[in-house]
Amino acid sequence: MYHFDWALFWTYVWPVTALQNPLIRNGLLATVVVSIIAQVLGVVFGLFAALGKMSKFPGFRWLAEGYIWYFRGTPLLVQMALLFFGLGVTHIYDFPDIKFGIVTITGAIQAGTLALAINEGAYMAEIIRAGIESIDPGQMEAAKSLGMGYALAMRRIILPQAAKVIIPPLGNEFNNMMKTTSLMEIISAGELFFAFNQINARVFKPFELFIAASLYYLLLTTIWSLIQARIEAGLGERKGDTEKQGMFARLLSGTSKGGH
Amino acid sequence: MTDKFAPKPDSSVIVQAEKVNKFFGKLHVLNNISLEVRQNEVVVILGPSGSGKSTFLRCINHLEKINSGHIYVNGHMIGYSERNGKLIEDNEANISRQRAEIGMVFQRFNLFPHLTALENIMEAPVHVRKIATAQAREDAERLLARVGLEAKRNQYPNQLSGGQQQRVAIARALAMKPTLMLFDEPTSALDPEMIGEVLDVMKELAHQMTMIVVSHEMGFAKAAADRVVFMDYGQIVEQGTPDEFFSNPKEERSRLFLSQILH
Ligand SMILES: Nc1ncnc2c1ncn2[C@@H]1O[C@H](COP(=O)(O)OP(=O)(O)O)[C@@H](O)[C@H]1O
Ligand SMILES: [Mg+2]
Repeated sequence: MYHFDWALFWTYVWPVTALQNPLIRNGLLATVVVSIIAQVLGVVFGLFAALGKMSKFPGFRWLAEGYIWYFRGTPLLVQMALLFFGLGVTHIYDFPDIKFGIVTITGAIQAGTLALAINEGAYMAEIIRAGIESIDPGQMEAAKSLGMGYALAMRRIILPQAAKVIIPPLGNEFNNMMKTTSLMEIISAGELFFAFNQINARVFKPFELFIAASLYYLLLTTIWSLIQARIEAGLGERKGDTEKQGMFARLLSGTSKGGH
Repeated sequence: MTDKFAPKPDSSVIVQAEKVNKFFGKLHVLNNISLEVRQNEVVVILGPSGSGKSTFLRCINHLEKINSGHIYVNGHMIGYSERNGKLIEDNEANISRQRAEIGMVFQRFNLFPHLTALENIMEAPVHVRKIATAQAREDAERLLARVGLEAKRNQYPNQLSGGQQQRVAIARALAMKPTLMLFDEPTSALDPEMIGEVLDVMKELAHQMTMIVVSHEMGFAKAAADRVVFMDYGQIVEQGTPDEFFSNPKEERSRLFLSQILH
């Protein structure tokens, strides 16, 4: 019969004690910050890819389609290893550490964030394209008839409307993103899972430690689900809609999806 | 024919379409359409569904490309320049500049749903014409008053009736101070009791600016139109004053059409 080490478990679950460990403290911070940056960059890449895919210029379309095809058709874990180890060995880019005062952003964190962002962009591209295409073509025509060019009409007329369609799946993407950052463990970027792995290497208590790790991810995704529910309720109100998804339903649907 | 690049000598001609042809695949949607519209003239276009009326309007502000012929608005060829007898499409900036001078009112209003009535009207003056926001707001309020909707300035389109939405859409087009207004069946998506309020606004505008109106509203044509143009199968079949056309149509196809819309 396995002897569950409750003392160790509580030490690493209870934030007050767990966060005294710099590995976990920095790991948690890295997971949150990397998720946010990768998601924001992913939206930017996705926007360009979506516009590229809808472009009337075949060159842009092929570029966007190739990007989406490759990054959705291959595993993120492989993409990440390729970017970090692969680029490193070619010396095309070595991912040197970057220092901002007392904060050091390791090469592994940079590469991991970039890989997450590029991969996410390929998924966001489809979400953003679907959002844009859900808008009545009459909107673009009205904008053009008023003398707006494509870029201005997109920015002022189409994207603000598409945002309402894009934001709910974007929220789910971010939920996945926080979980998917754990893949960065393979390149030893110091995020949350890496931190627990390091501790496990010292004390060898994988059962206790990985339950604790999973609970931290659960905490993050649950907090996000609550934020997301508020954002979407706000969106619905401004649109004049009355339908609102219950908090509980949002929580379940938001956290039950797997990563890519 | 005169030099295509030079502005047309007669500056009172606002729209000049010459032998315009347009195909959708094999469908010959516009078949050698020629039409001249003078300053402050009100032209009503009517014709059966699918006869190419909307397509013609959309060619006038280059929402559709044409396959051959020329369309001049204010003396400038719209959407194209001509080199060695070939039409070459203009760049986007030029096309947008030309469109800014042409107002368009759509059958389904196409108001921007994320903006209030006032913001809908201010949007293009501020972001296309780069007019100061305060000035644009003042102008927009005046326009809303002109279409009788000053009380609705902060309402969103989905809080307005169809007739109110269309009046805001007219104000939105007028805010760009266009020299030409195109109306594509502006009342055909409206409940009958709202048609009058929109037509009243259009009658007010008549003869203060050049208007091309696709509409089957005979009352409006009789009250406001200088000329009625009847289209069928992508061709202009007959045109004349409203009196001539409605009381004494010359062509068989016109008679047939009139007998259908009268019953
Ligand atoms: N974008 C398009 N692609 C293909 N066919 C079109 C398109 N727009 C209009 N048509 C066709 O062109 C013809 C003329 O259409 P339209 O100009 O809308 O007629 P109207 O406004 O007189 O009812 C119709 O047969 C219509 O089906
Ligand atoms: Mg039509």
